Amino acid sequence: MLRLLKETQTSLARKLQLGAAVIFAALLLLVYLYTAFVLRHDPTLTDLGIRLQGPSLNHPLGTDHLGRDVLTRLMLGGQQTIGYSLLALAAALLIGTAAGMVAGYRGGWLDRVFMRIADGFLAFPDMIVVIVLSGLLGPGLHSMIIAIVMVKWVSYARVVRTTVITESKQDYMLAARTNGLSPARMLTRHLLPHIAGQVLVLASLDLGKVILLISSLSYIGLGVQPPTPEWGAMLNDSRPYFQLAPELMLFPGLAIVLVVLCFTVLGDAIRDLYDVKKEVRG
Amino acid sequence: MLQFDEITIRNRSRVLVDRVSMNVLPGEWHALVGQSGSGKSLLSRSAGLLLPPNLSAEGSIRLGDTELTGMNRRSIRQVLGRRLAYIFQDYQAAFAPFRTIGQHFSEAIALHDKEHLKEARTRTAIALESVGLEGSLAGRYPFQLSGGQLQRASIALALLFTPDVLIADEVTTALDSVSGHRVLSLLNRLRLDTGCSILFITHDWRHVRRHTDRIAVMKEGRIVEAGGTHRVLDHPRHDYTRQLIAAAPVLTRLPSGLQEVGG
Repeated sequence: MLRLLKETQTSLARKLQLGAAVIFAALLLLVYLYTAFVLRHDPTLTDLGIRLQGPSLNHPLGTDHLGRDVLTRLMLGGQQTIGYSLLALAAALLIGTAAGMVAGYRGGWLDRVFMRIADGFLAFPDMIVVIVLSGLLGPGLHSMIIAIVMVKWVSYARVVRTTVITESKQDYMLAARTNGLSPARMLTRHLLPHIAGQVLVLASLDLGKVILLISSLSYIGLGVQPPTPEWGAMLNDSRPYFQLAPELMLFPGLAIVLVVLCFTVLGDAIRDLYDVKKEVRG
Repeated sequence: MLQFDEITIRNRSRVLVDRVSMNVLPGEWHALVGQSGSGKSLLSRSAGLLLPPNLSAEGSIRLGDTELTGMNRRSIRQVLGRRLAYIFQDYQAAFAPFRTIGQHFSEAIALHDKEHLKEARTRTAIALESVGLEGSLAGRYPFQLSGGQLQRASIALALLFTPDVLIADEVTTALDSVSGHRVLSLLNRLRLDTGCSILFITHDWRHVRRHTDRIAVMKEGRIVEAGGTHRVLDHPRHDYTRQLIAAAPVLTRLPSGLQEVGG
């Protein structure tokens, strides 16, 4: 009885977590849409006369060291951070899935070359590789996205490759060949549905990490460049004023934490959805 | 109809099928028997160029007037499923789990008979009904069908384009004897209806005796004996054939009329 109660409580807590994450994600979407169509202040227009002001009706979260509206920059920064994270993740997902499918299906030298490249990337922590690549390619948005894609595609490709190798040995693939199906058709119609679930779960769990990566790169000056608003860059800009106006660092920091938390909870929920073993254990 | 001529299949270290010649005649039911690892399945898969990449085949395989060996991938895809069809032992895994039975049929029609793609639904229903299944099963996923239904659906799919030759690779091994008999009776009816030849790979001598016209016996990659079913079964010439027949379970009649399984 106690166990059942505990399980119910756990389940209820998970549901509450998930509910909060979904509501927060919906709120983010609304903010995103609002920012796209309605803006009261120019996010890049400086006005030194009103710098470092506290919250007011006109500036609900105050102004920064150059007199720009913090709320406007926070909302636009969210667009940048989440938007570029999704873009980098989607590019890594597409490249990784395609590479993993081809390497796993073709095998032979192509697979061996792929594995060595993957081993090379996986030998170092993501952050180090991204910093080195961003540094080599030069600071800026494009370099940052390319660096993130170059690091992230490997993990997707490895998962996809493993699944393709396993599934290619199944009889339904042999049956598809005996029906005259081309490799491209077999990969897209018969194998992709097997892969899609796993890869999407991995991507949803990765989104939080990519947001942190983009913010971190902007924070150290290798990502989005001023005056474009971005959460990591906002943190960096506010650093000298931490003692004078700590809320300037608090708002973007809090935004990063909440968004990463929200996407991690959503990712966990999606993973649970595809976890058949959990049902059996339950 | 399907002629194997001096076929040798090898990997890097050894020869797995050694200069095998065999001819499956139009409309006949030809059995290929032998113990596991004798090279039966390899020989049959070599016809569709379906050997694993680590194996190579030499010799000539002809389907009617078409030379299959040396065909490029695109050309062999036009033959597979349309003129040369396969059904396998594990019928439950023969359908992709994320696609409905009807989607498998539509895919084959789109591939081999694009002009009639609009009639795919009707054709699928007719094909399913020809093997005793309801046409409405086309909308179901493989896991929603029983083993017997899946086996019938796989036969319907294999015979969708009335192939010249159907290769049935141990199709009854996973079935109980009653289901196995039903499936083979169905295959026989469809063979008579369509006129296709069947290359039947099996261990089961009961099915060989009941259904096949001719037999080839394989041992360690070679055909050691071949001939008409009754000649080989009643007057085997090779020791290995005698051993195989002796090792097969037989049904003997008791005086009461009941039957007893004997060695």
